[in-house]
Amino acid sequence: MYIENLFKRFNVRVPANRQKLFEQFMHEEFNVEAVKLIMEKHKIIMENWELKVRIEDILAKQLIIPNATVAKPYQEALDFNQPEFMEISFIAFDNLDQYGLNFNPDLKLIEGIPNQSGDFKVKMKFKVFGEDENSEPNTKMISLVINADPKSLWKNIASDDQKDKTWKEQHYWKPDQVEDFQKLGSKHIVVSSKRGRSHANVGAFREDDYAFKHFEANGWSVVCVADGAGSAKLARQGSKIACKAVVDYFEQNLTDDNLRQFDEILLHHHQEGGDSQPISHFVYNNLSKAALYAHQQIEGFAAEINHPIKDFHSTLIFALLKKFDFGYAILTFGVGDCPIGLLNKDLTEIKLMNWLDVGEFGGGTRFITMPEIFSSEKFPTRFGFTLTNDFSYLMLMTDGIYDAKFVVEANLEKLENWKTFVDDLKGNNEDRAAVSFDVSNQEIAHQLSAWMDFWSPGNHDDRTLAIIF
Amino acid sequence: MRRLPVYLLLDTSGSMTGEPIEAVKNGVQVMISALRQNPQAIETAFISIITFDSVAQQIIPLTDLASFQMVDLRATGTTALGEALKLVSNRIDNEVAKTTTEQKGDWKPLVFIMTDGIPTDDWLPGLNEFKQRKTAFTVACAAGVGADTAVLKQITENVVSLDTADSASIGKFFQWVTASIGVTSTRIEDGGKEIQGIKELPPPPPELNIVV
Repeated sequence: MYIENLFKRFNVRVPANRQKLFEQFMHEEFNVEAVKLIMEKHKIIMENWELKVRIEDILAKQLIIPNATVAKPYQEALDFNQPEFMEISFIAFDNLDQYGLNFNPDLKLIEGIPNQSGDFKVKMKFKVFGEDENSEPNTKMISLVINADPKSLWKNIASDDQKDKTWKEQHYWKPDQVEDFQKLGSKHIVVSSKRGRSHANVGAFREDDYAFKHFEANGWSVVCVADGAGSAKLARQGSKIACKAVVDYFEQNLTDDNLRQFDEILLHHHQEGGDSQPISHFVYNNLSKAALYAHQQIEGFAAEINHPIKDFHSTLIFALLKKFDFGYAILTFGVGDCPIGLLNKDLTEIKLMNWLDVGEFGGGTRFITMPEIFSSEKFPTRFGFTLTNDFSYLMLMTDGIYDAKFVVEANLEKLENWKTFVDDLKGNNEDRAAVSFDVSNQEIAHQLSAWMDFWSPGNHDDRTLAIIF
Repeated sequence: MRRLPVYLLLDTSGSMTGEPIEAVKNGVQVMISALRQNPQAIETAFISIITFDSVAQQIIPLTDLASFQMVDLRATGTTALGEALKLVSNRIDNEVAKTTTEQKGDWKPLVFIMTDGIPTDDWLPGLNEFKQRKTAFTVACAAGVGADTAVLKQITENVVSLDTADSASIGKFFQWVTASIGVTSTRIEDGGKEIQGIKELPPPPPELNIVV
């Protein structure tokens, strides 16, 4: 048959009188063997072609290795279930180990802990079924992306890097991180304030601030927290003046006469209940003056150095507290988006002492530096008051803490979220960073500062947290 | 986590064949690599790619930079810009989270459109759809002389043009897109503020003409 076709292809016709000769010719041993050999070679050629096509299909088909991240344990199965990859009989990777990865041929997994970031090409060697065992394997280059550890991308540049004292004074410099732990009357306060990563990344200043003081003479304590607005040039100074002004105000103005009267009102209220208007009156009178004083101090400073007051935009929250025989009186004021939360003794109740100025599209935030807040009809609602037997924690925080840990305002009203927050502080977190709320704990301020390094994607604002316990 | 959604609408019509489409592919690739090095962008920016030729297709849904994998782009067919505008409107509705009392929604999306031609479909319904969506800003880029900036001006006031759709110019455009995404993600992480318009973006390189 093969020879007949061959003759046809070469236009060799076998006339009838040569037919017998042709039959004999076909059956000659040499020719039979030759045809057999040719057929075998044909088969091999066809198989080789088919092999080439299958290999080419594999080379052309995109094989995706899911992206890895430095230091993050990696284990991804490669998707060899696509039809093109079904023919693969052997796989090996050439240079995976230099990235801290290796290929597990049994499970077809790439696994390991990536050790460097970048866009790489890795060499996959493979054979398909039907290939000679001793032949060189085929090579397919595959993209491998290893992301940097997001934490490593943040720089930490000191705001006073290579700067002298004069520069610091001229630029209203303040330390990038401060912390404190003190007795505060019959309670204690632990507080820390530090730059967010977004400021540290570019060597910018800390905009947050705090101040507190206990007045031995009358038993009152005051705690202030302020958050300078990122968009205001001298916000760091605004928040600093605001906190200091409030402490100064109460230091000068909590005079005996005034206070004795308030103590009586509170006692009366505790014993008889009823009309709370005299209390509101006292709270409003004294705290509003302190808030206004803070505003005026900033205003004065701004005028002195010829800057508009809006360059000093800062939020301000503060709490005044005092222990009486019958419990604690807590008075608060707040402007801006920093919450004050009071947790009762057995953590069964949360009282959010202030409402937050939040607005979706800017414009919603209010600052102590805005004169209009004092004349707004909302101004009287900025004050809080409560009388409680005792409490476990009174917390004042800036949005660097609140945004990351409570996310939305509504969660500040929920006890569950505060319980989680307290658990988090006590070490129930990814880094096992814990604050031990023990008054004999000399490390407590360091512990709080360390805890405040928590990682929260998208939340890298300055962080300040004051806890009275 | 509040995401910063970024939609890239890329013209993959037949006229983009050759150098332009290769430049776009490369531009996206380089952009992703660069943004991965930016600590703010890698946390907040989520990228989606919508291509439009005879049809519009979301070839990559909104994806974080860390897991983003570029796919191949092929230039073929006509220019269904209207369909692309309709599609991106639909994707914004479905992919961008809204703020509620229980959750903080995503930031308003950034939209970058690049085309080298004029729409071949009935594109006004798509334009009307898109106009109803809120974006932080939309930038349209007319690549080469075949594009009509007057058409793009109807989509957004922020229109830039490239004299030629060669790889150098297209590369510059993507460099500027990269810088713009970087600046926006830094701004929102730092001050919680969104960029309002093209004036707040980094100045475009000389290869990009701002169309007024």
